[in-house]
Amino acid sequence: MTGHPAIGLDDVVHQRVRLGILAIAHEARRVEFGFLRSNLELTAGNLSQHLGVLENAGLIAIEKGYEGKRARTWITLTKAGQAALAEEITQLKRLISQVDRAGKPHA
Amino acid sequence: MLNEFAYAGDGDPHEALSRARDLVRRVRTAQRATWFPLLVFAAVTFAAIPIERYGGYHVVTCRAIATPQGRGLGCVAYSNALFVYWPIALILSYVGIAAFYAHQSRKRGVGTRVRPYVIAGIVLAVAVTAATVWVAHNASLSVDAGLPAQQVSDLAGRLARPTFAIGLALLVLVWAERNLALLVFMVGYLVILLAPVTFGWVLMGRWAFAPQLVIPGGLLLLGAIGFAIAQRPARLSPA
Repeated sequence: MTGHPAIGLDDVVHQRVRLGILAIAHEARRVEFGFLRSNLELTAGNLSQHLGVLENAGLIAIEKGYEGKRARTWITLTKAGQAALAEEITQLKRLISQVDRAGKPHA
Repeated sequence: MLNEFAYAGDGDPHEALSRARDLVRRVRTAQRATWFPLLVFAAVTFAAIPIERYGGYHVVTCRAIATPQGRGLGCVAYSNALFVYWPIALILSYVGIAAFYAHQSRKRGVGTRVRPYVIAGIVLAVAVTAATVWVAHNASLSVDAGLPAQQVSDLAGRLARPTFAIGLALLVLVWAERNLALLVFMVGYLVILLAPVTFGWVLMGRWAFAPQLVIPGGLLLLGAIGFAIAQRPARLSPA
């Protein structure tokens, strides 16, 4: 990519909370709603909204079920989600390196 | 500036990456249960001591040899525990460890990467049994082959020990848990197993094998206690 890295950033992914959801889901492979809520420090309603955005974009899959009598919601990253997260991290690193280069004094 | 505009609402890119890394660290901490496989294998190793002592031996071959007292009979034999107890105990241990990690995964709300470790462990359990058969049958050939061949045979014998296979499989757990502390511990464990270290403890006769089990069993137990203490805050914190 030759343009500015910030242009390559996807609004759906690079939003702070949604990037956190994708990062956690990638590392955990499968993550429960409660773990996301407590680690991202969100209300259930707020988290549901962000999950809805990611699900509509095809970046995560949501699976609802029961464990005993307890309702459980599990989130997994789709292949599109993995690709989007990888692209976001690449763009962030490019952006950081450009900012660092711009900040260095010229020889 | 474009950079400032792009991140007006979500912090700078350094902060975004740093936050993502912090969340990844939290997931890894929640996934770890290093103490459990170490404790299981410490128990399996200690339980092998009476079984190896009283479980009987299978004689591979016997031949006449010269001894300081005259001619005698030298036999190559191996403990039945190596072919019955160890394969069953190792496979059951890996099944139990997989079940424990699956239970912990449901309880904490994060997936687990333990499957490659369990598969590697079972493959190694089968491989070590096959290697033991090979070593047992080839050890008889090295009786007359001189010192270097005997040293090779000793090393092969140490490599074919179930306690070494446990250590090798735990290296896969190092990768699965991204656990640097476990890597350091396992490298030390494998070095002690491969080197003929006895900590000055040498037994003769029918208990001669005991240090080969007590030393790795003790190391695994110490590791289990250490990791249980180190990972205690993660276990106690709510998921």
